[in-house]
Amino acid sequence: MKLKKIMAFVLTMIMVLSLAACSGDNGSEGSSTDSGTSNDSNDSSSSDSSSSDASASSNVELTIAIWDTNQEPGLTQIVNDFTEKTGVKAKIQVTPWDQYWTMLEAGATGGSLPDVFWMHSNEIARYSEYEMLLDLTDRIESSDVLDMSKFPQEIVEIYNWEGTKQYAIPKDIDTIALWYNKTMFDEVGLDYPDESWTWDTFRDTAEKLTKDDGSQYGFGLRPSNNQAGWYNAVYDMGGYIISDDKKSSGYDQPGTIEAIEFFASMSKDGLMPPYEVLAENEEHALFEAGKVAMITAGSWMLAELCNNEYVIENGDIAVLPKDADSNRRASIYNGLGWVAAENTDHPEEAWALIEYFGSEEAQQKQSDLGIVISAYEGTVENWTAAYPDFNLQAYLDMMDDLVIRPYSKTTVRWENMANDKMILAWTGDKTAEEVCLEIADEMNALLAEE
Amino acid sequence: MAKQAKLKGTNRARSEFIWGWLFILPTMLGLFALNIIPIFQTIYQSFFKAGAFGRGNVFVGLDNYKRMFADESVWQALFNTFKYAVVEVPFSIAIALVLAVLLNRHMRGRSLYRTIYFLPMVAAPAAVAMVWRWLYNSEFGLLNHLLNTLGFDSVNWISNPNTTFVWIAVVGIWSVIGYNMVLFLAGLQEIPQDYYEAAMIDGASAVKQFFNITVPLISPMMFFVSVTRIIAAMQVFDVIYMMMDRNNPAFFKTQSLVYLFYRYSFVESDRGYGSAIVMLLLLVIMIITVIQIRMQKKWVNYN
Repeated sequence: MKLKKIMAFVLTMIMVLSLAACSGDNGSEGSSTDSGTSNDSNDSSSSDSSSSDASASSNVELTIAIWDTNQEPGLTQIVNDFTEKTGVKAKIQVTPWDQYWTMLEAGATGGSLPDVFWMHSNEIARYSEYEMLLDLTDRIESSDVLDMSKFPQEIVEIYNWEGTKQYAIPKDIDTIALWYNKTMFDEVGLDYPDESWTWDTFRDTAEKLTKDDGSQYGFGLRPSNNQAGWYNAVYDMGGYIISDDKKSSGYDQPGTIEAIEFFASMSKDGLMPPYEVLAENEEHALFEAGKVAMITAGSWMLAELCNNEYVIENGDIAVLPKDADSNRRASIYNGLGWVAAENTDHPEEAWALIEYFGSEEAQQKQSDLGIVISAYEGTVENWTAAYPDFNLQAYLDMMDDLVIRPYSKTTVRWENMANDKMILAWTGDKTAEEVCLEIADEMNALLAEE
Repeated sequence: MAKQAKLKGTNRARSEFIWGWLFILPTMLGLFALNIIPIFQTIYQSFFKAGAFGRGNVFVGLDNYKRMFADESVWQALFNTFKYAVVEVPFSIAIALVLAVLLNRHMRGRSLYRTIYFLPMVAAPAAVAMVWRWLYNSEFGLLNHLLNTLGFDSVNWISNPNTTFVWIAVVGIWSVIGYNMVLFLAGLQEIPQDYYEAAMIDGASAVKQFFNITVPLISPMMFFVSVTRIIAAMQVFDVIYMMMDRNNPAFFKTQSLVYLFYRYSFVESDRGYGSAIVMLLLLVIMIITVIQIRMQKKWVNYN
C-alpha cells in the first residue's frame, strides 16, 4: 500500500515536472541535430565554392520556405525554370504566417534554417543583428544579372543592415485597394466607387448599403488589419505610425486619432458587422459570403478573392478613397525579400536561386503569372491581365502615393500591443483618443528599449 | 563458507543493481535530456532578458518576476486556467465514470460503443479544435444554424467573454472522456464480482451498489485520473490556440497561462518573461498536486 502511494507520488511529480520541460526545446537538442546534418556539407561546399555556375552540383536539393499557399503553384513554375537552367533542385515548403516565424525562430536557434526563405520588414532586424542570414553584399556587386537600382529603394533599405550589409533581394511589392460588391451597389442604385471618392463618400455609401435586419453591412474591417486597413487612412489624414527616425510613436498625432476614430465609429454605429462576427471571421470570408459590401484588401489577396466563385460573379476593385482635406490617397506598401540562411550547406546554390528570383526574367514571370506585383521596375504591365475579370489596374494606380509599412527593430511587439488595444476602440469600450494615447505611451516605451 | 555465501550475495545484489539500472536507463536518459535539464534551463532563463535565437542574454535578476506580479494579464490568465479546469475536470470524470459503468455490463455492441467514445482521443487535437471552431462560428456555424431553425437566437459561443471558457471546456471534455473511460473500465474490471452478488442478495439497488461498492473501490483510479486531469487541464493550450485569436473580444478572459507563455516565448521572443510565467504555472500545479496527495487519505480507499 505504501509502495503504491510512493509510486503514485513519483508518477505525478514526473507529470508535473514534464510541463516545465516544454519550454526547453530551444536549448541543447536543436544544436545536436544540426551537427548531424552538417557532416555532408564540408565536401560539397568545398567543391563548388570556386565555380559560379552551380551546374556541377546536380544532386543538391534546396529547401525554400514561404508562408502563402496561394503563391505556391506560381513559384513552383519559376523554381522549375531555375532547375532546368542550373540542375539544382529546390523544394517549396509552405508554413502558414502564424507558425512561419515560430518555425524560423526555432530553426535559427537550432541552426537548421531552410536554405532560402521569405523575409518580412517586421522580422528582418533580429535576423540581421544576429547574423542569421547570408550576407549578399559582395555577391550582388559582382553579379551581372542583378541590378539593385531597378528595385524600389525603400524596399531595398528594409533589408539593409545599418548601411553596410544587404541581406535580401526584393521579391515583390504590395498595395491596397477597395473591393466592392457590384450586386449590392446595383440593388440600391448607387454608383460604383471611383477616384472621386473621399472617405466621407465611403462612409455615406456604407450607411446606405447596411440593412437593418443585420443580413448585410456596408463595410468590414478588423482592428488587427492595420496594413490593409486603417494604416492607409492614418497617412491620408495627416497622421503617422512611427517617426522617420523610428524613435517615437505617431499614435498621439491628431491625424492618427482622426483615422482610428473614423473606423471605430463605423464599427460602433453598426456599419460593420457586430464585433463578435468580425472577430470570428476574416474580412475576405465575410465578403465572399455576401455579408459585407466593401472591404479593403492587399494585392496579396488576389489569388484568394479572384478565384472565389461568388466574388467572380459580384465583386470588383477600385482605388482606396482619399481624404477630402489633404486630397491624399496613400497606400501602405511593403515588399518581401528573398534571403538565404547564413549557415546553409549550399551557399552557392542558394545564392544562384536568389539571384535568379531577382532577375528580370523571373520577376517578369512572377507578374505575368499574376502571383504578385513584382518589385522589378517595368515588369508589372502584364500583371493586370492575370485576372481579366477584375480591375487590377486599381492596385497599380495606388502606387502613385506609396508609404512604406511602418517598422522598427521590434515591430511585432508594438504592433501586437496596438492591435490588442485597438479592439476596445472597435467595441466602443474606450474612445479612439484614449486608445491611441495609451498605445503611444507604451509604444514609446518599447521604442526606447530598442 | 559463510564468508563465501555473503560474497555471492553481494555479487548477485550488485548484478541485480546494475541490470535494474540498465533497464531503466533509456527512460532515465529521456527524462534527463527532455525534462530535467530543460527545467533547469528554464529556471535559469527566467532570470534573463532574452536576446533573439538564444543568444545575447542579459542577466536581469528578478525583473521578470517583478514584471509578472504587476501584470494583470498573467493573473487573469491564471484565473482563466482555473475556470477551465473547474469545468473540465469534474465533468470529464463524472461522465466518463458513468459511461464506464454502463459499458462494463454485458450488452450488445459493447466494443462498438467503447470504440466510439474513445475515438475523439485518437483524432489530432488541432483537427478537433478546427472542427469545433466551425461548429461554434456565430455566423456560419452549424450550432447556430440549428438554433435558428428551431426559432432561437444565435449564440456567440466563442466570442462572449463571460461564457466562452465553458464552451472551450466542452471541447476538452468531449476529447478526453474516452481516455478517462478506458482507465475507469480497467479499474472496474479489478472489482470482484462477489461484492455485487452479495449486495444483490441483501437487496441493494443499482444506485446503492454504485455509490457503496463501485465508487469506493475505484477511488484509487479516480485519484490517479483526477491528478493527471488537473495537471493536463492547467496546461490547456491547443484548443485555445486553435479556436481563438487575438481579435476575439473573449480572448483576454479565455487565454490560459500556457498560451501566454507561448505568446511571450515564441511569438514575441521574450523568452525570459515566458520562462517566468511557466515557473508560476509549475509552482501552482505543484501546490495543487501536493494538496491532492495529502487529501487522498480522506477519500481514497486502497483496500
